[in-house]
Amino acid sequence: MEAFFEALLGGLILGLIYVAIAVGLTIIFGTLRLVNFAHGAFYAIGAYVGLVIAQHIGVGWAFVAAPIAVALFAILLDRVVLRMFYDKEPTAQLLVTFGIALVVEETLRLMFGATTQQYKMPDALSGSVTFGPITYPAYRLLFAAGVIVMLALVWLFIERTTYGLIVRAGIRDRIMVQLLGGNIRQASTIVFALGAAIAGLVGAAATPIYSIDPATGFAFLVPSFVVVVVGGLGSFWGAVLGGLLIGELQSLTNLAYAPASNVVIYLAMALVLLLRPQGLLGESEVIRQ
Amino acid sequence: MSTASETAPAPDARPGLLAADVRFAVLCALGIALFPFLLHPLGGYSTLATQIAIVSIASIGFNLLLGYAGSLSYGHAMFYGGGGYIAAILLLRVSPQHPNLWLCVIGATVGTALLAVLVGAVTVRLYGIYFALLTLAFAQMVYFIVEQAKDWTNGDDGLQALPNALLPLGPWSLDLTTHLPKVNLGPFGDLGELRYWYIFAGICLLLVLMLARVLTRSQFGEVLGAIRENEQRSTLIGFNAPAYRLAAFAISGALTGFAGALRGLFDGSVPVDSLSIDRSGSFVIYTVIGGVQTLFGPVAGTAVIMFLENVLSARTPAWRLIEGLIFVGVIVFLPRGLSTVLRQQRGKNPRGLFVRSLRLPTEEPDPLLKPAAEGQRGGPMSIIETFKLGKLFGRFAAIRDIDFRVNPGELRAVIGPNGAGKTTFFNVLAGTIAPTSGTFNYKGRDVSRMSGTSRVHLGIAKAFQTASLYTDQTVRQNCRLAALARVQGRFALQVFRRSTRLDDVDALAERAMGRLELLEVADVRAGDLSHGDKKRLDIAIALATQPQILLLDEPVAGMSKDEARKTEALIRKLSTEMTVLVIEHDMEMVMGISDSITVLHQGTVLATGTPAEIRDNPRVQEAYLGGHSEAELTTG
Repeated sequence: MEAFFEALLGGLILGLIYVAIAVGLTIIFGTLRLVNFAHGAFYAIGAYVGLVIAQHIGVGWAFVAAPIAVALFAILLDRVVLRMFYDKEPTAQLLVTFGIALVVEETLRLMFGATTQQYKMPDALSGSVTFGPITYPAYRLLFAAGVIVMLALVWLFIERTTYGLIVRAGIRDRIMVQLLGGNIRQASTIVFALGAAIAGLVGAAATPIYSIDPATGFAFLVPSFVVVVVGGLGSFWGAVLGGLLIGELQSLTNLAYAPASNVVIYLAMALVLLLRPQGLLGESEVIRQ
Repeated sequence: MSTASETAPAPDARPGLLAADVRFAVLCALGIALFPFLLHPLGGYSTLATQIAIVSIASIGFNLLLGYAGSLSYGHAMFYGGGGYIAAILLLRVSPQHPNLWLCVIGATVGTALLAVLVGAVTVRLYGIYFALLTLAFAQMVYFIVEQAKDWTNGDDGLQALPNALLPLGPWSLDLTTHLPKVNLGPFGDLGELRYWYIFAGICLLLVLMLARVLTRSQFGEVLGAIRENEQRSTLIGFNAPAYRLAAFAISGALTGFAGALRGLFDGSVPVDSLSIDRSGSFVIYTVIGGVQTLFGPVAGTAVIMFLENVLSARTPAWRLIEGLIFVGVIVFLPRGLSTVLRQQRGKNPRGLFVRSLRLPTEEPDPLLKPAAEGQRGGPMSIIETFKLGKLFGRFAAIRDIDFRVNPGELRAVIGPNGAGKTTFFNVLAGTIAPTSGTFNYKGRDVSRMSGTSRVHLGIAKAFQTASLYTDQTVRQNCRLAALARVQGRFALQVFRRSTRLDDVDALAERAMGRLELLEVADVRAGDLSHGDKKRLDIAIALATQPQILLLDEPVAGMSKDEARKTEALIRKLSTEMTVLVIEHDMEMVMGISDSITVLHQGTVLATGTPAEIRDNPRVQEAYLGGHSEAELTTG
């Protein structure tokens, strides 16, 4: 029973990481129509920046530096390479972002080595919380709460700000937004940087839980894409629902029959694509690529 | 782009075809024969040469899908690794005393082809990221199954130390691991370093290259390219796009499986890694770096990257970074790959100045363009009849309860204010949108559930509001594709024959161009045409499918007055041979050419009648013509 609850909590935390990455993917797709295979690289860069800052300066600063560094990197990437691919076919976008992911992964491997690394969280947070029969590390609960707060802020950004309006309108009809005079270019850059920063922050914050190696970015990216497909491309709540479902599914399968935990999410995705191709909460009107 | 010239062969390229094929084969054979000796001074070795030859076959297979069908698979490792495992299991389980290489390789190829058909059946209807992810998902499932079936596959350790399969050749059995006789070639190494394996792999590669060349130039390759360029148009001239993509996926998977089997037998082991995501990614890297949509690109990319992997990995830990940078650099600066550097970019339209057999359009009814129902007007049976036809988008009824009849040979205009549901109605008739209620009878037969592609073959063709063309191909090639669909049917696995062998196709295309007065621009690239010519080409494409009903969605929209009148006259002439339905806002034209008019308003039929009746109908004037003056209406 305790194992079950632990798996449930573990699934929640894993799911929240997926949600955070998937939300970034979705808002970037919405404004830029860009299918970003390099999004996992943002997670990995955030994790390594966090690692270095946490080891040399302090954990608190890691949470500040990681999203800023990743956002700057994203803006650079956007200005130098990706802008050439906005109007290209999706396959070209997939290929170039896949290439960028490769380059980032190999750069990290050269700089930090291939071994798995982790930083220690501060002592104040290293305790555990006991409620009922289960004891759970305090940091993990704090992490979950932090991600939920961050997602709430992102939701407010999408629903309550002008940029958010452009994002939502862009998901429906990008060309119309441009014709109406929406400043897509500026909004694109901001949204791209924001999506990247979310991934970077989560990467830094999750490292004490999951540890990091250069391939981690890709390892988180693929399930996050599964989440986006299951939830529905372009849907915020779809990403939330899909992320939690996939996280729990993976965690509980791991408990029941560990070897299947990696494949079960693909099975789920194949089923969703066959039965409801637009995703659980996706709108069929959203242009499918 | 030279795409057009590669996928659609010139009709006049027939002489010297065989000579070109022979020259191609000889050059390939020469290249393959010299390759290991050129690799030697660069630090390569004979094992690497053989591995490159084998993996190149997989890359060629991958490129058939990515380059020619336009689908990015991120799961080709399931075929590569799958082929290896099938071959190894056949080797170990079926008469291990007499290991037969043919059995293993053919078994693996057939097995992976079947796997590809199964996976393709669910993936070919998806595009872009969805296709990539679903193929990845299936590859991961195959990985999982192989990893779990430990009794057969040895789990994570893979199958090691496979026995040496012999190649039966008539009465002999050749051991491919035998070295060639020793001959010192100075800086190019020694012939004796090579095993017979290289000769075998080289011959396989040569055959696969020739197959790929024939296939991409065949009728099948031509249609595949057309679907990649404009799927909407292709399905509405009568090509079954999913079937084509499925066939391409199966051929691609089988070739990759074939290569996987060779690699497993050559290495004597099949690691579980051969099924991994990284393996799938490597085919993407090889092919893109070498050049998609080219024959030698995948081979060149495989050779360069595998060579760098083997030579650089010993010297610098940064070799994977170098590989990644090359990859990104190629995509950004050389989107068509390294191999385009080696040859000159071909002209956009090599036959642009050459106009072939300019024939004057004949005035007599054309035997190839069959008149609908023997040209009888107002016959007893309606050619189109709809009952309570409706289409809901969510809760919004774009059209509802449409009862609509058209007699054979009639020219019917469908008019109505913006948002009246005219285009939706046409799309339901053409089969691109399925109705949510009601039925559509064509010649008394219910075709409501039939796909648009099938309806084209029954004789319903549509020209689009915004011309939907193959912009990179010439006017003639555009029309030929439509004619080809009419002559060959929805799907034809013509992987060896070229469409130039079909005389009917040329004749049909020629007639269609003649009817729309496009012969003068027959060899102009469609994308370079004027707006009016584009619109007329779109009608010509529809015409080349030999329709009995022609659906024209705003055929003169955006044209100058002169162009519009010219097009109007052409449509009038067409309507003597077939039933024509036309949506139009140009009232002068509507009143001038139609036999009868149907007015749609708020998704349903408001009135039907002759132009005079419609003009005098008070309800029409009130609901639709409010914005128009009486004078505007009477000019027709």
